[in-house]
Amino acid sequence: MTAAQRVEPGTFSNEPVLELRRASDREALLEALSELDARLPLTVPVLIGRDRGVGEGIESTDPATPSRLVASAGIAAGADVEAAVERAAESGAGWARRPASERAAILIEAAANLRRDRLELAALAVRECAKPWAEADADVCEAIDFLEYYARGAIALERGPGLLQVPGERNEMRYAARGVVAVISPWNFPLAIPTGMVAAGLATGNGVVLKPAEQSPGCALRVVEALHRAGVPADALALLPGYGETGRALVTHPGVQTIAFTGSSAVGLEILRTAAETPEGQRHVKRVVAEMGGKNCVIVDADADLDEAVPDVIQSAFAYAGQKCSACARVLVHERVAEALIGRLAGVIETLTVDRPDRFDTDVPPVIEQEAKQRVDRYRELAASEGRVIATQERMPDEGWFCAPTLAGELPESSPLLREEVFGPLITVEPVGSVEAACEAVESLPFALTGGLFSRDPATVAAVGDRLRTGNLYVNRQITGAMVGRQPFGGNGLSGVGSQAGGPDYLHQFVEPRVISENTMRHGLVVD
Amino acid sequence: MREVGERLARGSGTSLRHPFRALDDRALNLTSHDRDLRAALFRLVDVTPACRDVDDLGRHLAGLAGELADPPAPLDAAMRIAHTKAGRVALGSAVAAGVRHMAHRFIAGDSPRAARAELRRLWKGGIASTVDLLGEATVTAAEADRYRDRCTEALGELVAAARRWPANNLLERDSLGPLPRANLSVKVTALTPLLRPAAPERGVADAAERLRPLLRRARELDAHLHIDMEALDSVETTLALILDLLSEEEFREGPSAGLVLQAYLRESPAQLERILAWAERRPRRPPLVVRLVKGAYWDHEVAEARQRGWSVPVFTDKAECDRNFETLTARLLDARPAVRVAVGSHNLRSVSYAIARNRLAGGGDGDLELQVLRGLGDDLATSLAAAGLRVRVYSPVGDLVAGMAYLVRRLLENTSNESFLLARSEGASLDEQLAPP
Repeated sequence: MTAAQRVEPGTFSNEPVLELRRASDREALLEALSELDARLPLTVPVLIGRDRGVGEGIESTDPATPSRLVASAGIAAGADVEAAVERAAESGAGWARRPASERAAILIEAAANLRRDRLELAALAVRECAKPWAEADADVCEAIDFLEYYARGAIALERGPGLLQVPGERNEMRYAARGVVAVISPWNFPLAIPTGMVAAGLATGNGVVLKPAEQSPGCALRVVEALHRAGVPADALALLPGYGETGRALVTHPGVQTIAFTGSSAVGLEILRTAAETPEGQRHVKRVVAEMGGKNCVIVDADADLDEAVPDVIQSAFAYAGQKCSACARVLVHERVAEALIGRLAGVIETLTVDRPDRFDTDVPPVIEQEAKQRVDRYRELAASEGRVIATQERMPDEGWFCAPTLAGELPESSPLLREEVFGPLITVEPVGSVEAACEAVESLPFALTGGLFSRDPATVAAVGDRLRTGNLYVNRQITGAMVGRQPFGGNGLSGVGSQAGGPDYLHQFVEPRVISENTMRHGLVVD
Repeated sequence: MREVGERLARGSGTSLRHPFRALDDRALNLTSHDRDLRAALFRLVDVTPACRDVDDLGRHLAGLAGELADPPAPLDAAMRIAHTKAGRVALGSAVAAGVRHMAHRFIAGDSPRAARAELRRLWKGGIASTVDLLGEATVTAAEADRYRDRCTEALGELVAAARRWPANNLLERDSLGPLPRANLSVKVTALTPLLRPAAPERGVADAAERLRPLLRRARELDAHLHIDMEALDSVETTLALILDLLSEEEFREGPSAGLVLQAYLRESPAQLERILAWAERRPRRPPLVVRLVKGAYWDHEVAEARQRGWSVPVFTDKAECDRNFETLTARLLDARPAVRVAVGSHNLRSVSYAIARNRLAGGGDGDLELQVLRGLGDDLATSLAAAGLRVRVYSPVGDLVAGMAYLVRRLLENTSNESFLLARSEGASLDEQLAPP
């Protein structure tokens, strides 16, 4: 028994979020923020093994104060991609030979690193991605959860499943690391999502190359540092900041075995197309794990408790300005309670505070960048011209990429607002004649990521649960905030391919099965 | 204390006087023993106002009963007839009647005006009241305004009604001065849509705009305004709001006002010290009334803390909670005359302790108020009144069907199995009921 095996981790439990209703927790965060501010901007180099490139080329700014530079990052070029993949493959082979429990111990140590710096990391997510405090803190906790959860999962996976055994035959199934994992991560969960995808690759014994979103290289750097400091070999995890070019070079690289992507549908589908190619010399078919967009609907039945449905819809739609793949975009409400629901949603929107994410009383922070603001504002104009803006809240700071939270309705069936992902603080509402009609509307969408149902009839809950192919259906609660191990997260349809993150099946995507069957019978002598 | 307890227990008499109440007691006890059954019953009451008609209600009954692993015989039978429309209509009608019947027990009337007769009946029986207006949750500014207006109107109605009540020295005066007859309990979560646990100042500022006119109205009319305490998420906002507003110069001399201390909170001793320090620093006339209760959101607080990995903010050991209740009772009694003390409990031991502790300290019975909930503490109220003690019944008022749903959601669901009611009906001996925690 090795030393690492002796420290078998205990059962998984979610990292507790801060109790922000306590003044002491809030003060601690503000203090961490002012300490962080004194150190900004961060420099994010291209990190390949022990080589540190220059940290220049990308400017990551604060969406609430665009003049504030949060991080200055390098841009990984084609040669960097070559070097990173090559070293990840070499180093990965050694990493894969270590027992899963040893790798797990390192990931758990990385989780401890994040835990120790959790206030500062939350502050960084506030600055770099304009996550409001509660969301920023939850992002840190989810990153910790992914490390802890996949570390344990990889130990269990290494044991392999039991196979049927008959006399004279020994059957064994193992899961082996596939090889280099390219991780392409988004900015909206700037700590949790890169950590999750990287951790899954590392836990199962693969070398990993991370290309974070150009909007959040600072957060990605902190994740990579936490892993390296915990003992992940420098070569086994590279950081390649960059734009789409870098990502494209990585995806097309023949040395990459697995691509873990979370982001827009357009990019995700492009990756899937590209990954299907098997250029000369590539001896494998790439596997793509892609979490893509959604057009998430909440169905409110006539017997719903509106006292709960209203705040839950608001929270699902506007927390982090609607910039979650799980966010509520469309409300389908039974006509019998439509007027009441719409009136109350409108009333709440008028009370929302649109402000800086570092304020604890902010309800809606800015969106990530100018381009995003322009996109959301365009959709808002479309809502006004094709239908009606039912409620909006336009009081907001002058500076920063703020968008007015908006409820729109009376849209024609053909409206792009009912189909396209806005990824901003804009939702639509439509009365429907029945829950069945609402389900038909949901089924007509190509996406199937999250969904919500408010009903107090067990029969309705069961029927909708059986019917919809939605990856995550939330009943009588908000539709965002999936917790690792509790709500494995991921969509079906055009929302994604692959098993749900933070769930029992996820790690299987980073390994390949190998079965060894040995004949143990020698001239009639059975050896068991 | 033993003497006090015995006398109260005798005074509670037997529920045989009220056959309907005995029936309700049995239903409550039955459901107390079976968590699933209780949950199904409460969910049914909860959804009743949202059902289109009795057919729809019948369908919900069948659906909820279908979730029970082992439904009791009557429910089993109900599910069998729920397959036909006639069956569902019959079931739905029975449920609607049942909910209405239950509502009469817990709700004093569908409006303050409608509750007048009931409040008068109580008063004539030597029992004071405080009215709580039931309603939907406040999520918009308009809803908060509406609640404020309902409260303003209720103050007027209550004061007008109370004028015609006969004099009762015990109920309208203590050694510190007069006590208003009209008494209204208000909820801060209903006074503002801006309650944010992480930013209490926002809710305080917004609720203050609506509470100020209510305080002024109460002062003009000489009514008592009591600010209820709810789940922990709103406690800091509520406490800061009351202490801030009552510190304002215009409210130094009134109205009579009060707040609530929840003994199940581990931080309740610290909260009490904060309240008492404030009261010492800013003596007001009439003094602040502190209503000590166990707290009604126990299940909610425990579940929320467990879901988020927080340390549980409430006592999870009943004896520890009961001991804290007694410690706080003593601290409060000794803090007079800076505050007035009301003890709200159905626990025979807690109530007897408060009475005995007050007498032991040389306090007059009139300087301690006891409070109970309508529908759950009626017998105790009767026996407290008979013993010459001042008791006030917390009396919800509102639409019977919708109000019952709110009540179930906010109060009954959180009512612990370990109620006095249950202990008594199960034949717990007086010794057991009065045993020190």
